[in-house]
Amino acid sequence: MAFPLEDAAANRRSFLGLVGLGALAAASGGALAGCGEKSVNQGATTSAARINAIMPTFSDLSIPGMSQPDLKGTPPFSDAYLKYPSNVVEVIKEVPGKSGQTIKAMTPVWGSAPPGLGSNAYYDVINKKLGITVEFSVQDGNTYADKLNAMLAARDVPDLLCVPSWEYPKVPKFTEAAKALFEDLTPFLQGDAVKNYPMMAAFPTDQWRSAVWAERLYSVPNPGGTGFSWMLFYRKDLLDAKGLTYPKTIDELYRVLKEVTNPDQGVWGGNDFFAMIQMFYKVPGSRGGWRVKSDGTVEHKYETQEYRAAMEFTAKLYKEGLIHPELVATKGGQGKQLFAGGKIVFMQDGPGVWANMQSEQQKILPTFKMAPVPVFSATGGDPVVWATNDPISYTFIKKGLGKDRVEELLRVINWCSAPYGTKEWEMREFGGEGTHFTRGANGPVLTDVGRKEIANQYFFISGRKFIGSPRPDLPGHVETTMAYETAMAKFVEKDPWVGLKIEWPARYSQISGQQTEDKITDVLRGRRPMSDMDQIVKEFRDGGGDEARELLRKALS
Amino acid sequence: MTTSEVTAAAGSGTNRAQPRAAATTAKPPTGRERGSGPPLRARLRRDWPLLAMTAPAALLLLVFHYLPVIGNVIAFLDYNPYAGDNPIDAIIQSPFIGFANFELLFEDPQFWDALWNTLSITVFQLVFYFPLPVILAIMLHNLISNKLRTLIQTVIYLPHFFSWVLVITFFVQMLGGAGLFADAMRRIGWQPWDIMTNPDTFILLVTAESVWKDVGWGTIIFLAALSTIDPNLYESAAVDGANRWRRLWHITLPGLRPVIMLLLILRMGDALSVGFEQFYLQRDAVGRQAAEVLDTFVYYKSIATGDYGYGAAAGLFKAIVGLILILAANKLAQKLGERGLISRS
Repeated sequence: MAFPLEDAAANRRSFLGLVGLGALAAASGGALAGCGEKSVNQGATTSAARINAIMPTFSDLSIPGMSQPDLKGTPPFSDAYLKYPSNVVEVIKEVPGKSGQTIKAMTPVWGSAPPGLGSNAYYDVINKKLGITVEFSVQDGNTYADKLNAMLAARDVPDLLCVPSWEYPKVPKFTEAAKALFEDLTPFLQGDAVKNYPMMAAFPTDQWRSAVWAERLYSVPNPGGTGFSWMLFYRKDLLDAKGLTYPKTIDELYRVLKEVTNPDQGVWGGNDFFAMIQMFYKVPGSRGGWRVKSDGTVEHKYETQEYRAAMEFTAKLYKEGLIHPELVATKGGQGKQLFAGGKIVFMQDGPGVWANMQSEQQKILPTFKMAPVPVFSATGGDPVVWATNDPISYTFIKKGLGKDRVEELLRVINWCSAPYGTKEWEMREFGGEGTHFTRGANGPVLTDVGRKEIANQYFFISGRKFIGSPRPDLPGHVETTMAYETAMAKFVEKDPWVGLKIEWPARYSQISGQQTEDKITDVLRGRRPMSDMDQIVKEFRDGGGDEARELLRKALS
Repeated sequence: MTTSEVTAAAGSGTNRAQPRAAATTAKPPTGRERGSGPPLRARLRRDWPLLAMTAPAALLLLVFHYLPVIGNVIAFLDYNPYAGDNPIDAIIQSPFIGFANFELLFEDPQFWDALWNTLSITVFQLVFYFPLPVILAIMLHNLISNKLRTLIQTVIYLPHFFSWVLVITFFVQMLGGAGLFADAMRRIGWQPWDIMTNPDTFILLVTAESVWKDVGWGTIIFLAALSTIDPNLYESAAVDGANRWRRLWHITLPGLRPVIMLLLILRMGDALSVGFEQFYLQRDAVGRQAAEVLDTFVYYKSIATGDYGYGAAAGLFKAIVGLILILAANKLAQKLGERGLISRS
């Protein structure tokens, strides 16, 4: 590997002289030349075959009284039920907690954090059921990687740590961190050992494969993903009122944005939906933006013409002031409030926001109606949809807690992994009946207390493949969602590295995060010209991009 | 000039003599103690309540300020936080790479950007921000109505207790593209100015934010200093025919000089710290080029990317330059006849 300062060796002395350290340099003599280089971490890929031996044995669950789903989803999208089970049953008889020792856990939240232990009845309900107190540290999901980096380097981790799947690539030397700080769960989970935890034994094997670091089971996967990485929502009620419809081409999108933007009334087009614009321009999204070209070479999205086209379009939106100025001026995500308040008409967000915001807002404004824009291609042909079947997150257990404690923690994870149709699932999602939800004709409906106190805390210890479930307050929502997913499923981009676990080189983790994003942001907002992209790509490649490419290339052959 | 001579005479004649006399009477005992005073044990017995009272503060200082200094060794290591069994072990096991981190640092254009931004903001604020609390304090001091003064003080102190998140949100609401000001401009048919997202005027923006937040707070120390100036001096000067400006120039400012110098020296030591949150929060709005200061640089290089040795090198550089600046400023102050921060006995 070329050390970026190869030619700096020559002027090393002059620079040391510059800062008045000439004597020191002379004293240390040749030592400086020898010890001047930092180590290189090359990363690794792990194929399925290498880890088959340690995979937990799959055994399906049969939940009493549960029938097959009414609607069959197209992978990676989920199946759905149209009728909520009339009688949810408890499937875990044993109380998971035995030691009485408080469990510390850290999970992410997007939006406002729920009230803490002691003033949150949701915690009380679940902890009582678990027979043990779980004390959550709920952290802002937008800056979760920063928290992780600091926490891991300080070697001060909680008993249960949730790591979202898109965050661990941002932590350099994550594998080393896992080995140093987390319990190797292989002895507890491999083969038939997993049968002690029947809910987890029903996780599909491909989910377990992703949970492997250094060819050992260092984590429990959370198969709770909903498929889409991002969706672009629009305010149907507002467009209807203007006699407009959702855009089907890039020009229409631009026209609609232009038409709805009206600063005099405090209304702007949208939040920053650059990720969706990338999809419209067919930018690759696998593994953070990699693809294999027809000649077999591996290419990152920064290097593609598609990406530049998406950048140009986004830069135009910024330049013409179609993105809400408040979102341009500050960090953070008030986008949801602006969208709910009709101050922006388009919003890019995760799929989870759809049902929640719709049910919450229609109580305030009965005409409120949000819907996703079907992904289209800006350049002709089939569109590209980024979606993934990867676990949404991984849960790690602190190292060195002892066998009994690890088993207790695994039982807690097992409880949180109970599937749809069980009492456990209902409690995890909806809390206590009466306090957090009321039972409608066709399933539970969250109360205001429920909305405030439940923020997926236990879900991020472990969840379960998302499944469509009827929402009594949103009739027809399941069908609408399914129709949208089925329409999009055929355009989902194929991951060339499917089934492979990738542990990124440390330098790539550094360059692919804030380092390059800062520069791209500068171009999008017109602070740097588009032509600087060549330079940015060069810095990306030299800074670790090429190392990652090499890793991915080798993984294919 | 007669007035100034009279003022000076009045100053040194009656009031100033007193503290000086006190100082001279206080000095001999110190000298005696140092020479042939009671033995250490006797002094311990005598002073133990005082020592006990300082102990918690000293302990805090030791644990949270001096011990962590040792951690700076990672600036000279290819630090791998996950080596060994514990953080100390990690330091021991990480390879020593000498000045490699510093070499990388001085080769890094982003570092020079950050340093340049930091210094520009410091110098700019020294000129345009530092005098404001002095002026404001003098103005407040001259207010006759006590009620009005208390009211104004309360109002201008208040923003100090707001977090940066709030301050910036407030600025966005007022001056942002969707804020009150832009709205007003649109109403009269003008194109709203780009205030919150313009990298070229960012230095003005951050200074305005700092002034709004902290200028009131900054007046406290000057108001205290002003209250120690003997009102008799003003009266005598007024009797001798000195006008407002002359009294300001010859009584008020000399009275404030030691405090101003002290704060200036302290500010010099902090020259490379201009704050973190304020810049972190507005980074996307104006871009790294304008908003990167040394503190955010250290943050992004260490916490956000996990290259702790490199971040520590940048932090250490900042600390050393800060120390040099503070010593230099102190020396200069002593040369100019002030007591300075660290006085020689």
